[in-house]
Amino acid sequence: MSEKIGVYVCHCGTNIAGTVDVKGVAEWAAEHLKHRGVVIGRDYKFMCSSLGQELVENDIKELGLTRVIVAACSPHLHEKTFRTACERAGLNPYLCEMVSIREQVSWVHTDKVAATEKSKAAISGGVERVIHNEPLEPIQVPIHADTLVVGGGIAGIQAALEIADAGYHVCLVEREPSIGGHMAQFDKTFPTLDCAACILTPKMVEVGAHPNITLLTWSEVEKVDGFVGNFKATIRKKASYVNTDSCTGCGICWEKCPKKVVDDVFEAGMGIRKAIYRPFAQAVPKYPVMDVENCTYFKNSKCKACQLFCPTEPNSINFEQKDEILEVQAGNIILATGYDLFDATRIPQYGYGKLPNVFTSLEFERMCNAAGPTEGKIVLRDMKTAPKSVVVVHCVGSRDENYNKYCSSICCMQSLKFAHLVMERTGAEVYNCYIDIRTPSKDYEEFYKRVLEEGGHFIRGKVAEITDAARIPEEEGKLIVQVEDTLIGKQRRIPVDMVILSAGLEPRHDAKEVGKLFGIACGASGWYTERHPKLDPVATMTDGVYIAGCVQGPKDIPASVVQGAAAAARVLGKIQQGVISLEPIRASINKDQCSGCRICNGLCPFNAIAYIEDDNVSDINPALCQGCGTCVAACPAGAISGTGFSNEQIIAQIDGLLLRNLEPAGV
Amino acid sequence: MSNELSFSNEIANVMYATHGNPIKDCLQCGTCSGTCPAVEFMDHTPRAIIGLINAGYRDEVLASNTFWSCASCYHCTVRCPAGIDIADMMYALKRYSMWKGQHQEGLIGPVFAQSFVKMIVDSGRSFEPLLAPTYIFKHGPRGLVQEAQTATGLMLKGRLPLLPKKIKGLKKFQNMVRRIIPIGEPS
Repeated sequence: MSEKIGVYVCHCGTNIAGTVDVKGVAEWAAEHLKHRGVVIGRDYKFMCSSLGQELVENDIKELGLTRVIVAACSPHLHEKTFRTACERAGLNPYLCEMVSIREQVSWVHTDKVAATEKSKAAISGGVERVIHNEPLEPIQVPIHADTLVVGGGIAGIQAALEIADAGYHVCLVEREPSIGGHMAQFDKTFPTLDCAACILTPKMVEVGAHPNITLLTWSEVEKVDGFVGNFKATIRKKASYVNTDSCTGCGICWEKCPKKVVDDVFEAGMGIRKAIYRPFAQAVPKYPVMDVENCTYFKNSKCKACQLFCPTEPNSINFEQKDEILEVQAGNIILATGYDLFDATRIPQYGYGKLPNVFTSLEFERMCNAAGPTEGKIVLRDMKTAPKSVVVVHCVGSRDENYNKYCSSICCMQSLKFAHLVMERTGAEVYNCYIDIRTPSKDYEEFYKRVLEEGGHFIRGKVAEITDAARIPEEEGKLIVQVEDTLIGKQRRIPVDMVILSAGLEPRHDAKEVGKLFGIACGASGWYTERHPKLDPVATMTDGVYIAGCVQGPKDIPASVVQGAAAAARVLGKIQQGVISLEPIRASINKDQCSGCRICNGLCPFNAIAYIEDDNVSDINPALCQGCGTCVAACPAGAISGTGFSNEQIIAQIDGLLLRNLEPAGV
Repeated sequence: MSNELSFSNEIANVMYATHGNPIKDCLQCGTCSGTCPAVEFMDHTPRAIIGLINAGYRDEVLASNTFWSCASCYHCTVRCPAGIDIADMMYALKRYSMWKGQHQEGLIGPVFAQSFVKMIVDSGRSFEPLLAPTYIFKHGPRGLVQEAQTATGLMLKGRLPLLPKKIKGLKKFQNMVRRIIPIGEPS
């Protein structure tokens, strides 16, 4: 055995030492694995400390170690620490392996003797494995300085502006005709009650006019190829049938358009738009788009009123326009595609869709908005009567195992805002029915207190049902909200004129498919999974793809802005580096063994495998591969091997775990 | 952790383990009580009962009429956002209460349950004329007359036997029951 292996066993304070006899384990390794090349076994209180690392470095230099085993916590935490230490001492970092005896041993066992034996077996496996490790060099790839931002809501806008202001080019893609996202639909923003449009539109204008931003609205990303530093996105720019070179956004076309359509997107079904339309006055860009499904010309081949009345020269309406397919190069991608509102019709006992005066939060937002369908007047569905009493229902579709288990986090503050607006504008009695009031941000609790002082009623109880079936004369013609007031322990029936459902946030209906497009995964609740929930919230497991705003989980405007800026900072950091080193843990295909069956192509979660027609084999792009091993396991010919996870290594590790490597006398 | 079962655990054990989430998951939102059509007859709302169980108020819970008033409509179970089978918990409380012989005085439920179970164990069949007296007087003379009229009608049509009947293989049936509920040793 030519290798010289050092084994280091960490106490991790009492985290490991409390359950495992670490000293005994280190001594056992030095004695019983000597014939396998172990030349030194040490234990230390905190291996990850500077002194612990120096211990390894000194041994590499003085004893000439060629392999290092650190038995401590999960490699997730400190693999990089120890590999870097080895590198400092002149050893290839990939010749260092960690053995998890904390997460996989001490934290999950109570029997000290058994835990100690298990640690020995784990280390023995690690030793056998590391013998087969090969020195690897990180893969270097250059980074394209452009960034693709997908989603033009407040998070995407913030991210795009940060990067563009730093002097780098951004391509911002938005599915709707205008950027602005959900925030553009709101009236006031909690807790300060700034007008949403007043604070958002300057940013939208900035995006529209920024020399470093290419804005692609009415567009969708259809395909993403490439890898960190070198993405290539295929974008479909849907035909708007409006020539933006000549259009001035004067508005005559939609004034003259005879076709009225209920606006389900921007007005949440509360208002009317035309077949050619601009969703709202401050839209960026200012150009209208044509809704082909509803346009009279596209249905009956006649009308063309918009074209007839268009005052520009040349005429800006072009019925011959076709979808454009654009290709965009980008080094990094930020996904900020936002959320969908929970569909309140899914809760039949709340009567949304059947009882006319039950509104969703978004409908109410539009109603409050001065530019909305009622010009800011809070009225019942008849569009004229002001309500005298209103119930705001919290947690609609949230914190409920029948719908979504998670807390949507914005609804409490949103409901408090609704209560305030109703009281301020109508003087109506307002009841907030809540399970818990959650106001965990700056000035939020103060806003709650303000609404309390303004006379809002608060009933602690989740609304059981909303009905129009009256039992007593006072309930006739009203909506009756049945709820237990849990603080007094009584079931109450509250007759009111209007009910506002504070619907929760849900992942976009197509989040899964979009995630697959960009090679990132959704968690159990459907939101995209961040690299680390606390320490790396905007990066994803795919290098170069970042997430910001509600795609990562429900959050309010300030938090979305923070994430947009954070993602931008991460991207700028990458651009500044110029080149990026990638972990060399990758899969590779032995072309002689590959039969070209293409089973691996569809399984790769990172779209890293492509089929090469000419050679009739599949090929893995090393920059895109994340070394997950899915293809290695799936290949029926055994043609794929994973660097760092070769069959040799894994079988050796299993043999080690089973202590087959021990000399008979040493057992 | 003490090895003694908490009251909450005891009730959880009496519930069918395969149904719903543990009652400890209750977030006290009150959906059950807001939904309950029988809540006005209860001295504690269903939510309050869960709260009392989880807080260990054994005697208060057993003295309550809540679970005896449950109409078993299962609306609470359907709507519970924590996925708790509340209606089944009410049954568990009834079983527990009968098992411990501890319940509020003057309720029909426990007496009815006792005589019903005794009748089934003794004969293997339900016999209405014997069962009726446990609840028939509760509704006053008018109720009594009404019930008597219904019973006479049923009897004339041959739907209500005059004498109680027993099933075949009663001993085997009793041994089966004995494995599920404590009804005493065979006499």
